Amino acid sequence: MHFIYVIWLFIWAGIITAETHTFHFNVSYVTANPDGLLDRRMIGINNHWPNPTIRVKKNDRVEIYLTNFLENRNTSLHFHGLFQKDTNAMDGPEMVTQCPIPPGETFLYNFTVTDQVGTYWYHSHSGSQYGDGLRGVFIIEDDDYPFDFQQDSVLTVGEHYHKETPAIMKSFMSRYNPTGAEPIPQNILFNETNNVTWTLNPGETTLLRIVNVGLFVAHYIYIEDHTLTIVEIDGGYVEQVEVDSIYIAPGQRYSVLIQAKKSPQQNYRFICVLDYEMLDLIPSDLQLVSTNWVQYTNTKELPGSIGNDYKKIIESLHPAEEFNLIPLEKVPLYPEPDYTIELNFTMEVLGDGITYALFNGISYVPPKVPTLMTVLSGGEYSTVKEIYGSNTNSFVLQPNEVVEIILNNMDPGKHPFHLHGHTFQTIVKSKSGENEDEPLIYNPENATFPEYPMIRDTVQTNPNGHIVIRFKAENPGVWFFHCHVDWHLEQGLAITLIESPLITQEKQTLIDNHKNVCESAKIPVQGNAAGNFGSSKKSWLNLHGENVQFSPLPVGFTLKGYIAMALCTFVALYGVFSIYKYGMEDVNSDNIENKIEKLHKLLADCGETDESAMFNLNSNGEAVNQ
Amino acid sequence: MVNVFNVQIFFVVFRESLEAAVIVSVLLAFLKQGLGGATDDPIVYKRLYRQIWFGSFLGVLVCLIIGAAFIGAFYSLKNDIWAKSEDLWEGIFCIIATVLITIMGLAMLRINKMKEKWRVKLARALIKTPTKKLERFKIGYLSKKYAMFLLPFITCLREGLEAVVFVGGVGLNSPASSFPIPVITGLMAGVGVGAILYFFGASTSLQIFLIISTCFLYLIAAGLFSRGIWFFENYVYSQKTGGDAAENGSGPGTYDIARSVWHVNCCNPNIDHGWDIFNALFGWQNSATYGSVISYNLYWVLIISIIGLMLYEEKNGHLPFLKSTKLNELNPMYHIKGKKAKQAGLTEDEHELLFKEIKAKRSQEGKIVVVDDADEISSTELTALHPIEK
Repeated sequence: MHFIYVIWLFIWAGIITAETHTFHFNVSYVTANPDGLLDRRMIGINNHWPNPTIRVKKNDRVEIYLTNFLENRNTSLHFHGLFQKDTNAMDGPEMVTQCPIPPGETFLYNFTVTDQVGTYWYHSHSGSQYGDGLRGVFIIEDDDYPFDFQQDSVLTVGEHYHKETPAIMKSFMSRYNPTGAEPIPQNILFNETNNVTWTLNPGETTLLRIVNVGLFVAHYIYIEDHTLTIVEIDGGYVEQVEVDSIYIAPGQRYSVLIQAKKSPQQNYRFICVLDYEMLDLIPSDLQLVSTNWVQYTNTKELPGSIGNDYKKIIESLHPAEEFNLIPLEKVPLYPEPDYTIELNFTMEVLGDGITYALFNGISYVPPKVPTLMTVLSGGEYSTVKEIYGSNTNSFVLQPNEVVEIILNNMDPGKHPFHLHGHTFQTIVKSKSGENEDEPLIYNPENATFPEYPMIRDTVQTNPNGHIVIRFKAENPGVWFFHCHVDWHLEQGLAITLIESPLITQEKQTLIDNHKNVCESAKIPVQGNAAGNFGSSKKSWLNLHGENVQFSPLPVGFTLKGYIAMALCTFVALYGVFSIYKYGMEDVNSDNIENKIEKLHKLLADCGETDESAMFNLNSNGEAVNQ
Repeated sequence: MVNVFNVQIFFVVFRESLEAAVIVSVLLAFLKQGLGGATDDPIVYKRLYRQIWFGSFLGVLVCLIIGAAFIGAFYSLKNDIWAKSEDLWEGIFCIIATVLITIMGLAMLRINKMKEKWRVKLARALIKTPTKKLERFKIGYLSKKYAMFLLPFITCLREGLEAVVFVGGVGLNSPASSFPIPVITGLMAGVGVGAILYFFGASTSLQIFLIISTCFLYLIAAGLFSRGIWFFENYVYSQKTGGDAAENGSGPGTYDIARSVWHVNCCNPNIDHGWDIFNALFGWQNSATYGSVISYNLYWVLIISIIGLMLYEEKNGHLPFLKSTKLNELNPMYHIKGKKAKQAGLTEDEHELLFKEIKAKRSQEGKIVVVDDADEISSTELTALHPIEK
């Protein structure tokens, strides 16, 4: 009995000491010059950019009142990596769990961070908006770390564009970009700036939380003459691995321990190199290597820049392969899946001449009603996959299922895939396929799985390769699964997972603030993907008016083509006929002999005889003098 | 196949050599009919005969040399000039070629007219006396002696250079290797037809042959026009996509969907063998645009209208609804050269007068007077030279 009371005491203690952090975020444009080359508008919070790092402790409550002061753009905020257990409406993606926040409106994000510690980040989930700066780091501190350190620092890496993302999107998703080539960044940002000098105290151990907050490219990060010890990936502790560099894809986080030298004789360079293989085209003036510095003492000079020989630098690095990072907790391989989703990813040009990304031939198109609201208003029909639309690539998951997603990447690019609301075990990660026309397709027969697979929420897929992930459906709600190269997300590379819809209905309701924002945005909060609803299943299955993808390009001749071809043929034949007619005239009429014959006749009619005529025709028909 | 045989070049060379052959055959006919015919003076006849052949061959040879040099030089320049705007240049050359072919094509169907025109021209050249006495002395002596050489030489040279210019315009979007064969075969065909003309005169079967070849010529010209427009549209698209499209073959994304009338992923004349001939003859594109289809139809409508007008004029002596206008008058060169005044001169009667005059003069003087510009003789001069007798 005592024992139970003691436990209760501890629980209460835990709950009482859990803090509530309240933030008021006013999102607006801030003029900044992140890479030192160009002043441009960035999206800042409370008139400041870069945005603040949020630090909370386990089990804390977070309340963020987000007010949109951008004149002409909607916004939203997603907390990348947070489970949002039973608070699916706070997850952030537009038209999946919430309506976009129109200018002038305030949206409340209210959730607790349970069951998680580690490094996360927050960013806008309204299109490619976070590329314009609405991003920041979110740290859940642990009480008891399984390693020691004296300093806790944050490093964000990413790429920077000089144009604002709406303008970039216009030229990217256009029929004048037929290969779907992704936009090329202008620079790398190291902690949202460049030429950074980081001071280390000799002998100290620093926990460096590295986050890739970019839209598109992955980076290699290393410090000259120092090793990095990986201790955490995407919020999960791993068995420590010492490496010379890490390779971090957009959305991923790595926390590393850096052991400062005990008696340093000099200062060192801290290098970040862009993964050039992800760029379709490398402009000659693009700096792909960002040189920054670790400074031990300011009596010594900082070494010079390392230059821009990115290929050579990358070849010399041996970053950790994420697949081999074993979770500290040693979670065994999840059992055989109850539900398997196979996704074949291709890129295709659709009927508007624009390249789209497709999973199983479907490119994600946002529904007319946010999917979570379809779940909440769907009643008994919320378990019927069809009500979520034919273009949202939706899958309904049952409570506590083991779900397996097989993703075949039939594209010659690297893609980091991210699952909202969960971490997952990566049980297969293939190498790159050599041949673009023959991508490596997952074959379950010969597959072997690791005993303690790597766990994270954003995993990189190799070109023309495949990945297989497993997770448990223990978090009721609507969760987005998509490529974290934001350009590809805009092209439709996403699926929607509707997990335990009935339990979601039971446990979660739409708060008034969210309903008001939807009203202001003129978006309905009930109905299926087309906004239709009613009392019968038929009305819920009626998808008339839903948003769909463009029809495919017409292959071969359409009616237009046949008509054009027929017209051309007819006109050519008529032309040939008139040439024939014209040509035949020559033989018949344009003959001098005939004309002279006529002349003779005329003369004869007028009474002139042959004798008085000047000319006669000889046997050849030529005129001769008499 | 277009890499070794350019169809347009064949037809252009054919037409030009045909006209040159017509000239030579007319000259030979003059000879035969009594400008020192075989029955009169065999030695002179032979000499003149040789002069004609020599002159024409030399004329052709010289212009072939000049032509080869010209085209060679242009080719080496070409590679520098238009690397970036290749589509634009191709389009321009296609349009030039169309214009050239259109103008000269229809003349081929009036072979008798052509023959007649040359008879008149050459005859004038033969009897006109030089206006200045100085000229008469300087050029006079040589030209008198070698008249039968100079005439074919100059005219063949001129025709040949025309051919070179036409071929240059028509063929500059093809590789250099596609020139020799069509040039040779075109020459052979033109000479062959000229020979037939000489021996058999203008007959129906020859006419059918000429009609068929003209039909092909215009099919090619229509195709060229359509192609030219297609190249222009392709250029615009390539500029907007930053040069991506052309390298991707025939599949989706290589063309502008908003302007497409039809598109098939095969049968690309730029890539697939065999379809380039289809393209050369008919302007076939695997990815047709509104521009290419409409321009093809418009071109044929234009040709049909021009033919209609010409037929009308031949029957009625003037253009429809415009009683005082002739088709010739619509040609700006007509007014520039002042042909109107000259044409007022010679009727058919006067044609015959002219030839009679030549014969008379020739037998009188035993020599020939020649001037450079044969066009300047007028009707009044003619009657002055040879008053009508009864």
